[in-house]
Amino acid sequence: MDEQVNQREEVTLVARKACFGLPTACPSCLPVYIYLKFAQTPFNLDFNLTYPDSDQIPYVESGTYVAYNNEKGGVIESLKEDGIVDLDSEVAGVPDWISTKAVVNTWLADALMYELWVGSNGSSAHKIYFSDLPWPIGKFLYFKQTRITKQLLGITKDNADRREEEIYGKATIAYGALATRLGDQSFFFENRPTSLDAVFLGHALFMLHAFPETSVLRSKLLEHSNLVRYADKLRTEFIEAGSSSSIPPSHADPLSSFARGGTSNWSSKPKSKPKKERTEEEKKFRRRAKYFLVTQLVAVLVFLSLLGGSHDAEVELDDDDYDD
Amino acid sequence: MAASLQEERKEQSSVADGEDEKPSNGEDEEDDGDEIEEEEEEEEEEEGEERQKPVPKESRTRLQREKMENLFRRISTERVPLRVHDVVIKGNTKTKDWLIEAEVEAIKNATTVQELLQAATIANARLHRLGIFDSVNITLDSGPPELPGTSNVIVEVVETKSPLTGDIGIFSKPEARSWSLEGSLKVKNLLGFGDLWDGSLSYGWDQTSEISAGVAFPRFKGWANPLLARLSLLSQDWLKFSSYKERVSGISLGLISSKNHDLAYNLSWRTLTDPSQMASRSVRRQLGHGLLSSIKYTFKIDQRNSHLRPTRGYAFVSTSQVGGLAPDHRCLRFLRQEFDLRYAFPLGFYHTALNFGVSCGVLFPWGRGFLNKPSPLPERFFLGGNSSPVCTLGGPTTLLGFKTRGLGPTEPRRQVRDNFDDESSDTYSGRDYVGGDLALTTFADISFDLPLRVFQEAGIHGHFFACAGNVTRLTENACRDLSFQKFRKSFRSSAGFGIIVPTKLFRMEVSFFPETGIYIKLSIWCPCVFNCCNEV
Repeated sequence: MDEQVNQREEVTLVARKACFGLPTACPSCLPVYIYLKFAQTPFNLDFNLTYPDSDQIPYVESGTYVAYNNEKGGVIESLKEDGIVDLDSEVAGVPDWISTKAVVNTWLADALMYELWVGSNGSSAHKIYFSDLPWPIGKFLYFKQTRITKQLLGITKDNADRREEEIYGKATIAYGALATRLGDQSFFFENRPTSLDAVFLGHALFMLHAFPETSVLRSKLLEHSNLVRYADKLRTEFIEAGSSSSIPPSHADPLSSFARGGTSNWSSKPKSKPKKERTEEEKKFRRRAKYFLVTQLVAVLVFLSLLGGSHDAEVELDDDDYDD
Repeated sequence: MAASLQEERKEQSSVADGEDEKPSNGEDEEDDGDEIEEEEEEEEEEEGEERQKPVPKESRTRLQREKMENLFRRISTERVPLRVHDVVIKGNTKTKDWLIEAEVEAIKNATTVQELLQAATIANARLHRLGIFDSVNITLDSGPPELPGTSNVIVEVVETKSPLTGDIGIFSKPEARSWSLEGSLKVKNLLGFGDLWDGSLSYGWDQTSEISAGVAFPRFKGWANPLLARLSLLSQDWLKFSSYKERVSGISLGLISSKNHDLAYNLSWRTLTDPSQMASRSVRRQLGHGLLSSIKYTFKIDQRNSHLRPTRGYAFVSTSQVGGLAPDHRCLRFLRQEFDLRYAFPLGFYHTALNFGVSCGVLFPWGRGFLNKPSPLPERFFLGGNSSPVCTLGGPTTLLGFKTRGLGPTEPRRQVRDNFDDESSDTYSGRDYVGGDLALTTFADISFDLPLRVFQEAGIHGHFFACAGNVTRLTENACRDLSFQKFRKSFRSSAGFGIIVPTKLFRMEVSFFPETGIYIKLSIWCPCVFNCCNEV
């Protein structure tokens, strides 16, 4: 019973299933997963395999607190508004940041939705959303979602080609602008992760791993090598670095922020370097320091040995003079 | 009656033989006076013949009456052998002959008059029960003269002129504390197979709504059992109690339906949603789509003398359901078993009777990793509601004195941001009833007539009752913590007394519970039936 109570008080992200090498393959769920990883909030990952057409998923729960995807603009916005996790406190008012995020949330989101439901053969969508449902239900829901997507994007039989050009065109412009904005930086703004990084990284990882090589949109993303490097680097650092299921025996209890709705660990200034880099540099430093110390010791020993030899010769000559 | 007609013929022929013998005897005795006597006799014969013309009718009637009386006497005292030669069916223009022949099959096997009369009565009732005839007449006629001891049976039916009927009514659902408006249209005998097609719509305020269409065949050629098929779209609202809504669309097939046995297959698409977004954790985990492919077998014996107020007899019902009967392993897989036992015996004064009963049920998922899987939420047992356990035979569902779904495991609902610090919120509205996998209910009820004759004549009676029940979880390793002592200690019980007022349109129960006070339950059935004379 106590174990169940503790389990219910832990933070749990309920998302759609993992596949394509991603912890969750749903393009709506992956940004939330990454956001919690950026915030270094320990959480469990649960999957809902039977509700592919729900707009409530993903959601974050802890005890009786639940942040649904269809409330307050999304899970990330709910976590920010409720004071649970806020990575955007210092950039929320920056016009550039707002407009960049709007581009990602509209042009790129529409392009991904088009590619997933209309522009491809549907195999990726089947695998992510319907592979755990009985065949008749999965088939029906797939056709239903395809129809809804076409309605949302305003696609009809007459304008299908034109709309496809428009959607891909906007995505191309967005990728170019983002590549320019990112440059050689590690993150888009202020060299630290924000929800913009979480959303775009989720988009990029999905494009790179869930779509086949024949995907038009994927090829447009691959034209910008710095975006691809950015996605691979952050994936290695944040997603593959550790498991989300274990909660470390942490000093500061982030769970208390869910209970009392207080400030999160990210309200203060961010740390200068990530932990991984510091470990490698530290190893390098220690290695170099070892070499230096050894070298110094050898030098001292050589010096001492040379100094001890000359002093003995002077003493013998003085004794011979005194005997005549 | 064939037998009576043959006897008349024999007696008539014997009477005719007797008349022929008299003149032959007279002619042999005298010679001289023979001619005179012959003339006299001829005159007498002529006069006799003249006198016989009006007399045979009266004597024939008297004779027939005597024969009928003799026949009835014989039928009541001895077995009168008889064989059915042919069954003739008349009047059916649309209905297939084989359908009517199948319903009157037993008549052909009758070997005596008594059996024939009994079989004819049963056949008449079965044909009426089909609901496709306005009238049914079965006439027993004599067989061909060359085949003595036989009878022809003539079945004359009048097919209904108004195959389209409908009814609309208001009914109450005490378990759900709501009312529903129900209407249906029925088309009878569209294909001539005795088929009954119906479409129905039920709209319930705050609770259940259903649209369904079905067809029932009383029999189909060689298959003697009735066949039922039904398409339905059902929506149930349990937001108030368990924070979910259920939508089920599917088809059910009744394979065997007899007095004691019922076998049905169900294939349906079930969706659980939570529009309120306030569900507790375990309910949230169950939201989504599922495919239910199950077979359900019910064995029922009900030897009680009344379903509403039994005073004598017993009833036993066993319901077994297996879900997941499909090649696709992603279907809902579970095993569900229910038992009901009721017994009533009279106490001998004021029409008093003691009813007691026990109901139990168990639910378990099956398949790989079944110990860690939760059981399907809609299949679980929920105890509560004020349906009389004496009248209901549907597993452990009702427990007098408790609210709908008011007994069993609960979980806290979601708390929104504003209510985080509100510790004084109503616990009932803040918790979901999530049901259980093992349920047990028992009850004892003593019903008695009220002293006044007015009440007795109206059927108004009183009753004392006591109930107890419990429901618990077994799945997700909860059974490891379960013990008999724990289960016994967590039983809940209630007791009280009440008055029941049955009428043609509704049944009212006024009950008093010492803990919760007075409770009034109104069960309404107010149908209005109409016929449409549009021939199809």
